[in-house]
Amino acid sequence: MIGYYFRLAFASFRRTPGLGILMILAVGIGIGVCVVTLTFHHAMSGNPIWWKSDQLYAVTLDNWDPMEPADPSRPSLPPDQVTYRDAEFIYHSDVPKHAAIMYRSFGIVSGDGVSGPLKPAPATTRITTGTFFPMFDVPFEYGKGWNDKADFAPEPVMVISHELNRKLFGGINSVGRTIRWNDTPFRIVGVLAEWEPQPKFYDMNSGDFDSAEDLYIPWKWGEVLEVGSDGSSSCWKIDEDFSTLAAFARSECVWIQAWVELPNFIARARMQSVLDNYTGNEHEHGRFLRPRNNRLTDVDQWLKDQKVVPTDNRVLFGLSFVFLAVCLINTVGLLLAKFLNAAPISGLRRALGASRRELFRQHMVEVSTIAGAGALLGLGIGALGLAGVRALYMMTATTPRPSGIASIAHMDISSYLIAVTLAVVATVVCGLYPAWRVGRLQPASYLKNQ
Amino acid sequence: MNVPFRPIISSLLRNRAGAMLVAVQVAITLAVLVNAVYIVKHRVDLVSRPTGIDDENIFVVGVTGFTKQFNYTAMLDEDIRWLASVPGVIAVTAANSVPVSGSGSSDIVKPTPDAKGGHQSLVNYYQLNEQGADALGLRILAGRWFKREEVQTPLPTLYSPYTGPIVVIKRYADRLFPNGDALGKVIYGSSNQPLTIVGIADNMLGYRPTGEEPAEVMYMPLLPSGPSTRYLVRAKPGMRDQLMRKVEAEMAARNDMRAVSYVRTLSLYKARNHMKDRNMAIYLVVVTALLLAITSLGIFALATFNVTSRTKQVGTRRAVGARRRDVVAHFLVENWIITTAGVLAGCVLALAAGHLLALEYELPRVDLYYIIGGVLVMWLIGVAAAWHPSRRASRISPALATRTV
Amino acid sequence: MLEMHNISKIFRADLIETHALRDFSLTVNAGEFVAVTGPSGSGKTTFLNVAGLLESFDTGKYLLDGSDVSDLNDDQRSRLRNEKIGFIFQGFNLIPDLDIYDNVDVPLRYRRMSAKERNERITSALDLVGLSSRTKHMPSQLSGGQQQRAAIARALAGDPKFLLADEPTGNLDSLMARQVLDLLEQINEMGTTIIMVTHDIELARRAQRNVHVVDGQISDFKSYETRAPESFATTGSR
Repeated sequence: MIGYYFRLAFASFRRTPGLGILMILAVGIGIGVCVVTLTFHHAMSGNPIWWKSDQLYAVTLDNWDPMEPADPSRPSLPPDQVTYRDAEFIYHSDVPKHAAIMYRSFGIVSGDGVSGPLKPAPATTRITTGTFFPMFDVPFEYGKGWNDKADFAPEPVMVISHELNRKLFGGINSVGRTIRWNDTPFRIVGVLAEWEPQPKFYDMNSGDFDSAEDLYIPWKWGEVLEVGSDGSSSCWKIDEDFSTLAAFARSECVWIQAWVELPNFIARARMQSVLDNYTGNEHEHGRFLRPRNNRLTDVDQWLKDQKVVPTDNRVLFGLSFVFLAVCLINTVGLLLAKFLNAAPISGLRRALGASRRELFRQHMVEVSTIAGAGALLGLGIGALGLAGVRALYMMTATTPRPSGIASIAHMDISSYLIAVTLAVVATVVCGLYPAWRVGRLQPASYLKNQ
Repeated sequence: MNVPFRPIISSLLRNRAGAMLVAVQVAITLAVLVNAVYIVKHRVDLVSRPTGIDDENIFVVGVTGFTKQFNYTAMLDEDIRWLASVPGVIAVTAANSVPVSGSGSSDIVKPTPDAKGGHQSLVNYYQLNEQGADALGLRILAGRWFKREEVQTPLPTLYSPYTGPIVVIKRYADRLFPNGDALGKVIYGSSNQPLTIVGIADNMLGYRPTGEEPAEVMYMPLLPSGPSTRYLVRAKPGMRDQLMRKVEAEMAARNDMRAVSYVRTLSLYKARNHMKDRNMAIYLVVVTALLLAITSLGIFALATFNVTSRTKQVGTRRAVGARRRDVVAHFLVENWIITTAGVLAGCVLALAAGHLLALEYELPRVDLYYIIGGVLVMWLIGVAAAWHPSRRASRISPALATRTV
Repeated sequence: MLEMHNISKIFRADLIETHALRDFSLTVNAGEFVAVTGPSGSGKTTFLNVAGLLESFDTGKYLLDGSDVSDLNDDQRSRLRNEKIGFIFQGFNLIPDLDIYDNVDVPLRYRRMSAKERNERITSALDLVGLSSRTKHMPSQLSGGQQQRAAIARALAGDPKFLLADEPTGNLDSLMARQVLDLLEQINEMGTTIIMVTHDIELARRAQRNVHVVDGQISDFKSYETRAPESFATTGSR
């Protein structure tokens, strides 16, 4: 019977192809717009480390001005980074499974004079403890990260990104090679596989959808080579000595990201009390003058606190549903018109023995066919729309490779499927009313004098 | 023209569902249209605000020293001299940040050392040299720009306080000293260091040109801290791209202790900073246009359905003496009633949506002109979409009335 | 076979075309060919719609083939319509975008028959009406008489006990009308009960029995014994 209904649906399409195309177009455009916005929204509100996000905590301590909160618009939150010395305290705590402290910097990479001349090139750099890699499950293509010892009596080792390895070495295994970073030789111990967490949850100070850094070097090199932050630093206390990096590191300025991995709630509670004891002690020495506000924030909450999804996107998210709604209402109207136009035939079918249920099924098959065709079209429109959005972002990109926000505008299969399924289901649901209406028609009134 | 309203309404009531669906579409479309236009207008205004500097002709050269023998101040001196000597370059300055790029530095500045609260202001500052005003294309309205000998060597760190002469923009000068006697006055930075106003420049946007309120801006004669910095180079009109190619090709080789990280137009920074607003505007325009198209298709389809399902009735009307234009009017009026019902509901919806958006964006609420405009547009679209089916109805032959099949 | 007792049907005011039945009683025996006549608006179409289970009625009792249909739900009524009743309309009511074969197929589809059985029935029905060479034609490609014959084939394909015909020759010229009527008589002779609504007295004369409806009631009984008595006897004996 289903096969028969499909044949009838196609016959019906042939009868009024214009109306059919209009409906498929309406459904298709509706789905297309939804796919684009949902893909974006999904990517933006996504949690790039969902598998262990409830074990990873950003550490924030309120060392701010006793007179004023760090962010007057959200007075309950401490500043979103920590001071250098507090970061080192957090790192040395033995409660977390891992603790990583880090900041974003910038340097010039150049050749070592052995592997041939290398044109000096700028490279974004993360100065971090080696715990960064195991803690965030960073994938390696070649080699591995460095151990604790390399961090504090800093060894000249570095990990480079997949992309930098491709640029400098054509993608070969470059572990063991030496390159210069700000004219200091570093031995490459690891090359990352492609890794682009979006949003870049562990440091969103240079934009929520900033790319991961080009290379990583051990923690103490920052102080040794006097390399400050290329991200954001905030200070509140006047008259502090900022004359050297070491002095800056002793100041109340916050510019370090601190993360800890706490495998269970016991560890979490212990870490909380470690922090509270620490700031309590520091308070005795004239620091942490604000009410105690030490926070361990897991990744999900962190993304919310940092307002990763911009207002524009929330508005567009809502708009896309309104848009889909209009497309569907439109389709219901067209279906109704189409079905009522064919009412004499439906009346005839009733006379020939079709029950209401059978007519309903027949029309639902027709609706589903339209929804299916609309979904196919919607997939195409969605792909086109995403390409368009990507082009919009690429227009102002400084590298030919899509990074950050442009890279998330790709076809994300899961949100794609969600959007399409949603829209198809919605279309079919919308078809219920017209299909039901057909069954309610008085067949007799359509049989005389067609 | 004889338009019988009562029969129209009674026939409308007969196909209630279809008419209601179209009215709902019209209502939603109107609400979206009004608010989208309002947001787009606001974004376009933000994006098209004049920057106050000659942004079209400026390009930015980023450099970083990286060797141990590297001498930062010597590099600044040498690079600026060379860049300024390139034919077609008007002026060159080193700068602590790129104007209108979305990132920059600011300090809390106070009229007196102990001023609190509202008397303090967050001021976006630029560290420029004696060519700075020319390099930006900044007009000096009163006083003077800095002399060469006033330009100080780099501060030890990013956070070391600067003290000395400054130039402020007019907007800030007027706010600080409403009597217009800002010249020669001393104000104070966050470390209470004195800053003497020696000149007043024309207004320019702060580093975040998308911000609601343009920030206050001041300039200091100071070489920015190294070892990386950027030069702002202003080219003669029409020569920017050509000069950029020359700089890109020749500059790196002049000093192998520093790398030239990039050579970019200031327009790129501006565009990148405007990207979000521009993309939002484009997205809204596209979606709203599609929405209008879908809705007019809906109106068109309903009108077509009404005409085809009443072919015989129209034939009868014609047979009893209705003129073609009476038939056209009949269907147009019927359609107008539907559209208007939608428009009325849409006004309420538009206000409600506007209220929600106002909360999200902290914008003033949609004003009435947008709603009036939206209503007119929807009426127009309604008539346009129903025009063709109504014309078709008017061509139905009166002979149809007598035919049985 | 068909028994209506005191059927009445009252229409809502805004349906103008059809009138109510008042205390309508009629019995049609198996194998009869009954013509229902009456002026416009007399209720004869309403009678046909009620008889064909297209419309419900308000009061009274209706036995179709021995079973009471008053309390049946839509599925049961549809099933009865599909299996026991064949319709023939003035406007033929062929589905324009299906070919003749598929048109005849329509009622069989709702009976969940195997493809083979459907094919057999369609072929023999079209054979009977003399359209076996036109199976792939679209309705618009046929003359009015051919279309009505196709419609009759469709009505017969399901092997109904009743044929309900509503002005079956109303849209046909006299030659074609005669052919169609001959066909109906032939079908009747093969045992199918036929109830035909018409306002054409000449046509009605060819039926075994005439029922005249005025104002929703049967006014009197007239029986035109115009047909050969032996054929009457034949059908009567069934």
